[in-house]
Amino acid sequence: MFDRRLLKNFDFLLLLITLAICCYGLIVLSSATQGLSSADPLLHVRKQLTWIGVGLAMLLVVISVDYINFYRWSWYFYMINLVLLGLVLYIGKDVDGTSRWIELRFFDFQPSELAKLIVIITLARLLVDCKERMTGLFSAWPFYLHILPPIGLIFMQPDLGTALVFIVIFFGMLYMAGVPLRNLAIYAAAGIALLPILWSRLMDYQKMRLLVFLNPEMDPLGYGYQLMQSMIAIGSGGIMGKGLYEGTQARLQFLPEQHTDFIFSVLGEELGFFGGAFLLALYFLLIYRILKIGSYSKDSFGALLCTGVATMFSFQILVNIGMTISVMPVTGLPLPFMSYGGSSMLLNMLSIGVVLNVGMRRHKIQF
Amino acid sequence: MLKRTRFFITMLLLVFVLLCARLAYLQVIQYDTYWNRAEKNRLRILSITAPRGEIYGRNNEQIVTNRPGFTVSLVDLGDGYSDDTIARLANLLDMEREEIRNKIRSQFYRRYLPIRLKTDVSMQTVAEIAERRTELPGVLIEVQPIRNYVYADFAAHIIGYLGEGTVPAWLEDYWEGHDDYKYRIGDLVGQAGIEMAWEPFLKGVDGGIQVEVNSTGQAIAEFERVEPRPGHDLYLTIDVPLQFSVEQALTEAVERLILEENLYAGEAAAVVLEPHSGRILALASVPSYDLNTFHQDFTDLQGDRRLRPLVNKVIEEAYPVGSVFKMVTALAALEEGVVSPNERVNCAGSITRYNATKSCFRGTVHGPLNIVQAITRSCNVFFYEMGLRVGIDNLAHYTRRFGFGSPVGLQDIFGEKRGVVASREYKQEIYNEPWYPAETMDAAIGQSFQSMTTLQLANYVSMIANGGIHYRPYLIEKIVDSEGEVIKIGEPEILYQLEAQPVTWERIRQGMIQASLPGGTAARLADFPVSIAGKTGTAQAAGSGSKIPSHSLFVAYAPVENPEIALAVFVKHGGTGGTTAVPVARQILEQYFNIEPEEVEEEDVTA
Repeated sequence: MFDRRLLKNFDFLLLLITLAICCYGLIVLSSATQGLSSADPLLHVRKQLTWIGVGLAMLLVVISVDYINFYRWSWYFYMINLVLLGLVLYIGKDVDGTSRWIELRFFDFQPSELAKLIVIITLARLLVDCKERMTGLFSAWPFYLHILPPIGLIFMQPDLGTALVFIVIFFGMLYMAGVPLRNLAIYAAAGIALLPILWSRLMDYQKMRLLVFLNPEMDPLGYGYQLMQSMIAIGSGGIMGKGLYEGTQARLQFLPEQHTDFIFSVLGEELGFFGGAFLLALYFLLIYRILKIGSYSKDSFGALLCTGVATMFSFQILVNIGMTISVMPVTGLPLPFMSYGGSSMLLNMLSIGVVLNVGMRRHKIQF
Repeated sequence: MLKRTRFFITMLLLVFVLLCARLAYLQVIQYDTYWNRAEKNRLRILSITAPRGEIYGRNNEQIVTNRPGFTVSLVDLGDGYSDDTIARLANLLDMEREEIRNKIRSQFYRRYLPIRLKTDVSMQTVAEIAERRTELPGVLIEVQPIRNYVYADFAAHIIGYLGEGTVPAWLEDYWEGHDDYKYRIGDLVGQAGIEMAWEPFLKGVDGGIQVEVNSTGQAIAEFERVEPRPGHDLYLTIDVPLQFSVEQALTEAVERLILEENLYAGEAAAVVLEPHSGRILALASVPSYDLNTFHQDFTDLQGDRRLRPLVNKVIEEAYPVGSVFKMVTALAALEEGVVSPNERVNCAGSITRYNATKSCFRGTVHGPLNIVQAITRSCNVFFYEMGLRVGIDNLAHYTRRFGFGSPVGLQDIFGEKRGVVASREYKQEIYNEPWYPAETMDAAIGQSFQSMTTLQLANYVSMIANGGIHYRPYLIEKIVDSEGEVIKIGEPEILYQLEAQPVTWERIRQGMIQASLPGGTAARLADFPVSIAGKTGTAQAAGSGSKIPSHSLFVAYAPVENPEIALAVFVKHGGTGGTTAVPVARQILEQYFNIEPEEVEEEDVTA
């Protein structure tokens, strides 16, 4: 039976914010996908709705298992993660020279999405287990060793954007676990110093990809063009926006990935500054709630889980929105709960589930 | 709350405030600028098509080049396309309205790119459009490189044509396995021949320009430009003068047959190889087609169900080959030791075994013959006997070792057929019947189920010339990029070697040498100044006694002492090998060895 006391600590507000963002996303999606499928104009909205539904169901499953079990199963998760990431390199569907998806019957599964949550869980356990290694500069090596294989495999896909998310999650969790700031700065500096070696090992096309990633101007007919169109869309939205379904940029399909990576551009054009600021406010509340749950958790494992999820969301929001307004490079990272896509929606829901789980079990059960 | 958590939240708030500030900057302060740009958002991307790689002959003769052509495109100016414009365009371009609408629909997800409606339109159409510019908003005229075939219908089956149709998945995978090639729907791509197999090398990488267009769709300002990277040039192994004479000889032979009121004639094929490398010097299939007018002629070409001009008959069709096959049986018999090199077998004009009586061509009685004489005079009875002595299983084994029954390995043109090797397994599989010994006799003279492509025959005669080495036939001498740098060099590749005793090769070659001397079946070549080893074939196209003319075949290599070329000629329903295929081969050899043509004299020669 479900414990009543668990329900008492269930953070309805977090779930509510999540659902609010999802609904907001569906509305913008319905505009962004106008005319994308002539047979069924609501095809993408319907599919996205299905993912939200499936995601909620999975969220329920996740919260019914005490999160302390995630700690126990951590190493299984880690192995499964490596197998999936390895598998995608071999049987992955090839799209524009990258293999990121495993084709399943119902949808294209993207193992690197699931990998984010798994790394958060397994790294949290490692940080709890090796607390004493935290403060030394060199004793922290197991943390690096832990994170290297999954990042390496994702780098090989190659999916540079997602690999970067892992690095940021890693540093975020190390910081919250109590690693001295001075050490973090040294690690980061060492990492940057190693970049030239890594660079020399890359294939030409990978180098090109990286260069374009850092400087979209190099690809004026591709990313550079998208970026300019995105800025025109958002800028022309003004304070109030042109109104839902009224965006001329969006209607002309100027933004090639407007229902996935560039959905914020559609929002900016049609709902204006208020619409964009409202979304940012929702996101801020979401992350604030997650961190708050983390800070009240009964153990440091729970706290670290929440930190990891919060870092992941924060970084993706920053990079995605930053990309559409030209303050961040074009990476192809989805906007949480807004971008169209099954794998990321499921992963985001699961992550919220993990956080809710930590919140529900914040008091030690008393007999 | 932990100190670090508070710090995290503070940082987050700061980042979000900065994002908001940037949004405010774009949407409030810069609003007018962006609103104006969106209002007349006429930034479009015009693609610059990369010139396709050119194709040259072995002595650097231009075969395929590019010339500038006009393409009419339609660009969305922000409010879709009016029915009026579409109707006017359909009229001007002689297209159906629905066709134009389909093209528009196929690009709905990339509306900022112009839609190409028609390539290579005439100057007159361009002038008509230019006059009515104001009535045709969004209509663009771009200059694009168009294929120019220097000799029109020359080597059409080697070069192949371009088209826009759908590309099967295996081909897309094959292409994308090369270089950094990317296929996009709507691209003009190779659909046959070298243009198809070497598409990733020929295509190059398209460039583009970011332009601002005015209210009628004319580009008024250019922002960014990416130059195209031209495709790589291909240098073929094809000997252009030789290819010309092969095509001419085949065409003339076929025309002569038609004049003689042969209702079945019309198709022919020939290929010339270097026996010591596998280089293809000439490859021709008749009837051919004119590449310059291909798209206008396409419906007719495809509709010709009888002669099927689009089919490359050198590789895509396999036929019974008759007596040219006899060297296989000879090799099998000598190698299996069922006949000695000088043993004589008596030909009484016919032979009766297993209740079947089979006779020599036109009932000729050859008397006692050894294996050399049997090849020279193409005695069926001798080879019926040899077939029975080696048995169908051994015969099938040696047939396969000569490269029959599987593709020869040409990779520069797709579509090579396997043909059929008459065997117990084949009959069981197709007819679900056991093999009858009497059928072995037919198989031994290249009839029964035996069927071979002309390319397989050329490879076979090459193997006889070079002592059993199966080279992969190839057409690409080298590939050169637009900078002039050589990217790839075609090199001979040995696939395997058929080992046989020296005496076996000697006997077989001797038979072929004498066949081209007085008294042989190819006696028309007797006065040829260069020594030739050859073998004729007259393959029954229908059941015996039928009125349908036989296929005429000839395989040869020359000079005998140091073979430079090997050739196979196939004339469908051309009658006996000696009457049709041998004169074609003579014309080819005359061109290759620079010899004055023989006096045209009509004489009856039996095969």
